Amino acid sequence: MGSDLILVIVIVTAASFDFTNGFHDTANAVATSIATGALKPRVAVGMSAILNLIGAFLSISVAATIAKGIINPSLIKGNTGMLIVLAALIGAILWNLITWYFSMPSSSSHALIGGVIGATLAAAGSQAVSFHALAQSVLAPAILSPFICLLVAVLGTFCAYRLIRLLAEDFARRGYRYGQVGSAALVSLAHGTNDAQKTMGVITLALIADGKISAAHFYVPFWVKLLCAGSIAAGTFIGGWRIINTMGNRITPLESPQGFAAEAASGATILASSYYGYPLSTTQVVSGGVMGAGLGKKLASVNFGVVGQMVTAWVCTIPAAGLIGAGAWEVTNIFGVHGGVASVVVAAITAGLAAGVFILAQRNKIAPDELDRTHVSPLEESGAREPAIATG
Amino acid sequence: MVLLAVPLVKWDDVLKILLAGLIGAVGVVVVYGFLLLAVQRARRSKHEATRVLDYAIAGVCGLLCVGAVAIGIVAIVHKPKSSQSSSKGKAKIALLTPR
Repeated sequence: MGSDLILVIVIVTAASFDFTNGFHDTANAVATSIATGALKPRVAVGMSAILNLIGAFLSISVAATIAKGIINPSLIKGNTGMLIVLAALIGAILWNLITWYFSMPSSSSHALIGGVIGATLAAAGSQAVSFHALAQSVLAPAILSPFICLLVAVLGTFCAYRLIRLLAEDFARRGYRYGQVGSAALVSLAHGTNDAQKTMGVITLALIADGKISAAHFYVPFWVKLLCAGSIAAGTFIGGWRIINTMGNRITPLESPQGFAAEAASGATILASSYYGYPLSTTQVVSGGVMGAGLGKKLASVNFGVVGQMVTAWVCTIPAAGLIGAGAWEVTNIFGVHGGVASVVVAAITAGLAAGVFILAQRNKIAPDELDRTHVSPLEESGAREPAIATG
Repeated sequence: MVLLAVPLVKWDDVLKILLAGLIGAVGVVVVYGFLLLAVQRARRSKHEATRVLDYAIAGVCGLLCVGAVAIGIVAIVHKPKSSQSSSKGKAKIALLTPR
């Protein structure tokens, strides 16, 4: 009975994480399209939600790869294993909500990995974590990903503006707005395939830990796919407007050719990294793409203050999510790992804290209408814009 | 200690991603720019033959862009190198091994 209750709470928490992942990462796919007026905010998040839903069903090759090689698998067994997974999810959810409150795009996958490492360290000590694997498969790609996409986007933007010289400006910018719809769609699809599947892996892991699925015959049940796809799509549809505003308006003032180059660079880099099995963070790739689009246009400015805040959030993600995950594990430990009470208590505390962050966020809410630029003529794109402010 | 012999950064993979990203992204941006250029020329052209030629060029550019998106979708669905590399570089410990 106790283990079934823990399993149910782990599944609900995993779905909640997927929901936060959806609204936290919506910006990756649609921020530039909204910022340049290529799409209305609600239309953009609706399209992205549908493509995230479809993407979640396309392939399960990345399911169960979260923290692969980083922690000792023998720990993830029985109630202890499920509570480690629960504590990890709580670390990831709360860090996602904190960064969302401060309007900072940060990697949900890194938050989950941080949560897993923190909970594992608290549960089993440092010998259960491979720090070399962490550096190789998480930290090194995290440092490189923004630079790779930045370079690609700089060149893409430079080429786009070279070509614009041969075109009527209004026609060119309108044309690039149409192009942005396609590039945003591709990034949404890629996001759905990558991120929804990580949560599928987490839920399947809990099912294995509880003995519902045999580790020797790994498969992701259809209801798990449906739950994860639905959760990430619902989260995407809600729209993380605060982060969309940061990504689209506060890093650099974007015009449609820059938006198209940034999205094309992000899409190509994400797909190439996925194809070659090198785990780059979507958030960091897209952020690098937006910065590159800013630097690639002559005289365009990048707000390095905002970039500095983003980098700080990236650096803090794994340690902070880890600390929260470790704290969640310690709370479950107080109540003992054999009953369901521990899981109910930490889930209730998390729900309370999450509600608190949502209530605080209402005080300086950003509405989608404030971000709508579809009424702006392409020729006025570069005019001064006042980004909606939500400093948290 | 044995694990420390493994390099932290897989530079081969990084260079492949950079190259694929450059070809894919800059290629699409340039081809899409030529598509717009061809459409603009076709609209302004006073001669039927030139107009048809420009629309044909725009069509080819459009097909190339759609082809790039299709390659992207195939990469999303199959991820062949991803599964290969994960089995090749299999770590001694794994949270969960799917196969």
